[in-house]
Amino acid sequence: MTHRRWFTPWLLAGPAVLWLVAFNLWPAANTVILSFTNAKPLGGGHFTGLDNYERALNDEQLADALVNSIVYLAVCLPLLTLLPLLLALLVERKLPGITFFRTAFYTPVVASAVVVALIWGWVLDDRGLLNGLLGQFGLTDRPVSFLTDRWLLLFSAIALTTWKGLGYYMVIYLSALGNVGRELHEAAAVDGASALRRFWHVTVPGVRPTMLLVSVLISVSALRVFSELYVLSNGTGGPGGRDMSVVMLIQMYSRGFSGHIGYASALSLLLFVITIGPMLLLARLGRKAA
Amino acid sequence: MRSTHWARLALASITAATLAGCGLGDPNGSDGPAAAATGEVKGKVSLQTWALKPKFTDYMEGVIDAFEAKYPGVQVEWLDQPGEGYSDKVLSQASGGTLPDVVNLPPDFALPLARQSMLLDVAKADPKLAGDYIEGGIDAYRFAGKDGAYGYPWYLNTDVNYWNSELLAKYGLDARKPPNDLDELIAQARTVKEKSGGATYLMSRKPGLGDLADAGVKIMADDGKSFTFNTPEAAAVLDKYRSAFKDGLLPKDVLTETYAGNAKLFNAGTVAWTTGGGNYITSLATDNPTLAPKVVPSAAMGTPPLYVQGLSVARNTKNPAAAVALARWVTNAENQAAFARLTSIFPSTKTSAADPFFHQSDGGNAGDAKVIAFTSLAKARILQPVEVNDAMKTVVNQQIALAISGETDSKQALDTAVSRCNQLLKG
Repeated sequence: MTHRRWFTPWLLAGPAVLWLVAFNLWPAANTVILSFTNAKPLGGGHFTGLDNYERALNDEQLADALVNSIVYLAVCLPLLTLLPLLLALLVERKLPGITFFRTAFYTPVVASAVVVALIWGWVLDDRGLLNGLLGQFGLTDRPVSFLTDRWLLLFSAIALTTWKGLGYYMVIYLSALGNVGRELHEAAAVDGASALRRFWHVTVPGVRPTMLLVSVLISVSALRVFSELYVLSNGTGGPGGRDMSVVMLIQMYSRGFSGHIGYASALSLLLFVITIGPMLLLARLGRKAA
Repeated sequence: MRSTHWARLALASITAATLAGCGLGDPNGSDGPAAAATGEVKGKVSLQTWALKPKFTDYMEGVIDAFEAKYPGVQVEWLDQPGEGYSDKVLSQASGGTLPDVVNLPPDFALPLARQSMLLDVAKADPKLAGDYIEGGIDAYRFAGKDGAYGYPWYLNTDVNYWNSELLAKYGLDARKPPNDLDELIAQARTVKEKSGGATYLMSRKPGLGDLADAGVKIMADDGKSFTFNTPEAAAVLDKYRSAFKDGLLPKDVLTETYAGNAKLFNAGTVAWTTGGGNYITSLATDNPTLAPKVVPSAAMGTPPLYVQGLSVARNTKNPAAAVALARWVTNAENQAAFARLTSIFPSTKTSAADPFFHQSDGGNAGDAKVIAFTSLAKARILQPVEVNDAMKTVVNQQIALAISGETDSKQALDTAVSRCNQLLKG
């Protein structure tokens, strides 16, 4: 019989533990500690207590950024939870050439967010494709400020996120739909249930756990939105920076030689706490539904 | 229990490492002994430049070869970093303790490094500095609250106005009689807008701190500890822009467009005015060869901005004598003059002022621009204090955009910008 030494498991788990500590736990712990300091990128930094948090509470920019992030979440969440499900139901059918449509809907997912935002920037610009078309068809007499109006810019970015995310969540739903028993649909059909009733009473309950997972994923990524708003606003966060998201605000404070790492860390932690909120809510809803 | 013991040990290690990592111990609190720049010029030194390859590879290699020939005991390692992300690269080098011996740093990059005692005081290390370089160039590397100078000025530049003569002529204006101030500029912009039916613009950028400084507004207190640009005069400048924006004299994009957008629109032929360095027409000839010959340069309105590039020496260099000699060599009058002949930059050495190359145009518009830029240097000055970092620029841009769009009162926007910049300055 082989003699097992006490350190054998530690030896085996060691590399993974070291990796976890160095690249996950330590940076996270470091962020917490930095948030109580006035640390700069080139060293220095002293303990300043709750100053950074106090500053955050009175920061109008943070208030604007939070409103933007929450609007982003509130609009993206229902759109990206329902539209990909409907899309998945459409492409789930085994029809000739359906693979082409599945691939086409998935294509935006693999494109870089920055490239996609650049292309949409050209489309939505005052002298861009969309304004050109609207003008040509006589629908507008002056360019619509898609990229220079606070709310239009925000909703342009939401449209971009939705367009880019549809294919990704569609694939998740496709795999979930495969697990919804066909016999349930057939039984409901035999009982005379309409397509809408079958969707509501058979499909939705079958994919509810996936819908919750998708909602959590969307919540996290909506609150962390950066590239879309950054590129569409040319890095300015919109007119007057009013379309800045919380992540853009963190980036603004942390970059450069004189970055305010301490304050940026405090904002990161606040964002973390805010992100936890919708996740707990969704988990609770999931438990209730179960 | 064994597992508890291990968990405690791990937690203690993480806490210790974290405390060390966040710099609570303030390792930079002490200046330590200054590097001496005396002694024999020998050993290995590294030189880092910013985006000179591949256009100026031959030039730089020639300068380095000549230096190594003059000092046979020296070996120079030349590093050239790409333009994109250069500040991040320098930041990681500085925080990692791997700053090259001689490094190209504009004054705003040099300031935080000097404050952390990472750069050599070259005024102390090289007594001939003040005698050889122009005062404005050296002053750019002198920072409020810190004695000494932290870089050799390398080359200088300023902005020149560029006008699309064809567009202006089309709308009844003469590029040879350009506006002299903001009011005249707005008046001509109105003419262009009205006669083009709003299809063409003359103005296509929102103002920045440089424009406020040019209007006589004091941007920062002399001690460098607070900003002071929230004056009624500054608000009046923003009010003029706001009214011009409301009247449709500027494209809506100016509220979000970064400054480069201005040159982009000019290159595309949709706006008739831009500003740029002395070599702008040369680069335009590549981007838009049909437009380049139609461009007419004129001197900047008001005080021209001074742009300075320089070479700083790392304080922890192992070969300070060789590093100082190399920085001085690259920036000497002969090497700067040769560089200026390759591209439209202007030397920072006193003897270069007499060089006829900079006074005489070849008759072309690019040559005229070079001469205008060179003669403007005499009254050019750094309009935006080097203390203004990226985060502050963002804040100022945001508030100016709010004022111009009419969302906020101009004075209120400036008050907010000053208050936020002061907060950023304090850290």
